[in-house]
Amino acid sequence: MNQASRARLFKEYKEVQREKVADPDIQLVCDEANIFKWTALVKGPSETPFEGGVFQLAFSVPDQYPLQPPQVKFLTKIFHPNVHFKTGEICLDILKNAWSPAWTLQSVCRAIIALMAHPEPDSPLNCDSGNLLRSGDIRGYQSMARMYTRLAAMPKKG
Amino acid sequence: METEGQNCRMGSYIYRPKKTKKVFERIRGASVIHILSHTLYFLSLYLSLYLFSDQVRVFPILERVDSAMISDSIPKASISMASSTPKNLPKKKRANRSAKVKQNKLVARRGQFISQVKNKIGCKDEANGEGGLHGGASVHPENERGQAMEKLEINPRGEEEIYGDGSPMNHYSDSESSPLNSPTSHTSSVLGSNGSGVQFTASSRSGSSSGRSSSSSSNGCCSEIMSEDDEEDDCLDDWEALADALAATEKKEEVHNPESEFDSPPEKHGIGSQSSGVVINPEIGGMAVKRDPELCRAWSPDDAFRPQSLPNLSKQYSFPLISERQLSRGGPVWGCKNVGGTVPTSCPICCEDLDCTDSSFLPCLCGFRLCLFCHKRILEQDARCPGCRKQYDRDDSIEKEATLDGGSLTIRLARSCSMITRS
Repeated sequence: MNQASRARLFKEYKEVQREKVADPDIQLVCDEANIFKWTALVKGPSETPFEGGVFQLAFSVPDQYPLQPPQVKFLTKIFHPNVHFKTGEICLDILKNAWSPAWTLQSVCRAIIALMAHPEPDSPLNCDSGNLLRSGDIRGYQSMARMYTRLAAMPKKG
Repeated sequence: METEGQNCRMGSYIYRPKKTKKVFERIRGASVIHILSHTLYFLSLYLSLYLFSDQVRVFPILERVDSAMISDSIPKASISMASSTPKNLPKKKRANRSAKVKQNKLVARRGQFISQVKNKIGCKDEANGEGGLHGGASVHPENERGQAMEKLEINPRGEEEIYGDGSPMNHYSDSESSPLNSPTSHTSSVLGSNGSGVQFTASSRSGSSSGRSSSSSSNGCCSEIMSEDDEEDDCLDDWEALADALAATEKKEEVHNPESEFDSPPEKHGIGSQSSGVVINPEIGGMAVKRDPELCRAWSPDDAFRPQSLPNLSKQYSFPLISERQLSRGGPVWGCKNVGGTVPTSCPICCEDLDCTDSSFLPCLCGFRLCLFCHKRILEQDARCPGCRKQYDRDDSIEKEATLDGGSLTIRLARSCSMITRS
């Protein structure tokens, strides 16, 4: 079991090395000591409040991977209805019941980027953000998100 | 009957006018002696077998049929036969029975042979028609059919004369060479004119235990004139002479019959290894018997006569294998992320290489492939297809259906692959 997931992760690692240039929005890095620990740097999608920010994700891959989904959380603070503001936990179906063994860490990163662009306020982890969106205060949500992006996800100026 | 026999004869000689003349001359010369010998023989028979006078009337008819079957009898010979039938009446019943058995055998063999020849004609016609590889194909089949029809008439005779080795060449060659080989010129001339009869006698003697009586029932009566001691040797001589003559005439044919070679372009082109024409006649006569099991079957995949338009079953069967080989070779190029209908080389779940069983395993209709091991593991857990997230149906029927579907998919893919390799 461990061997299978290890092999799978190694394959993904090689895949990532090859596709590093292909997808500049995602930088997936494997922990040097532990292949079950990964970190990813994803760029905030354009035309969203997260544009310009670089968000760090932490992957914790279970032994049963890929049958079990990896546990992913934001290390960078983000104001998003589906991300827990304090823990960085992500509410994403593919990381829970909709997980498929066909998915990879790379595809999870892409899914997270998509989630950032299209928040789902009906299942919020961040109630404030969700409430803003559900009440239709798009502008309030965007400014809050942009602020946190600028505070947490952008390199400090100067 | 007589005309038929003559027609056959003409048919067999149609490509060799010179020889035909010779033979007919010889026949004319021999006929007097022939009749003499016949009368002599029948007189002796009459005297020796006078006591067994309660002969069934059927026998002469049988005999006549026999002579017709052998059909090499020139008109005069058959006339002499007809005239001699009343004298044949006093004969053994045993002879009659053996003659009947023999007759049945001959009829059966003739039918068999004709069907074989027909098969052959069909094959060749189709092959020629389909192939169209040589320019003469449009003209050739007619020619061939004509000749083949002659063969239909001729070859059975050859078959009857010499079991399995029969050919229209045989009696001809015999008529040419037997005078040289057989010791008594008197009988040899008869042999020459009535070659098939002699050979029939020989074969019947070797075939049936009631040697003398049965052979006397045939029209190869001339051999009976010879003394008892000579008979065995003469038979051997006949066979040897036949073998020699066969070899000799085959050579002669190749040398002396350029027009017949011209008539059979397939042989020159090497498409049909056996084709029509006089040259091939012995081949067809002999080969048809040898190829009997093959002809009984359908087209064998590597048969030269097999029409190209027929679906190539063997290739279809080998499609999946080809595909596997191809894919495994082209695997690194296509990669495992190839989503389309292609078969990945490794399991997308565990990244282990897919073996043959895995590649033919399609658990879900969505076409997502994975190894059996991972499939089992998934079934143990949430049992949903990784590709479409639909629940794997634990019913085996669906899985089988899916597998079948995958099989056809594999074949289709493989066909395209093989097309690529062929072109």
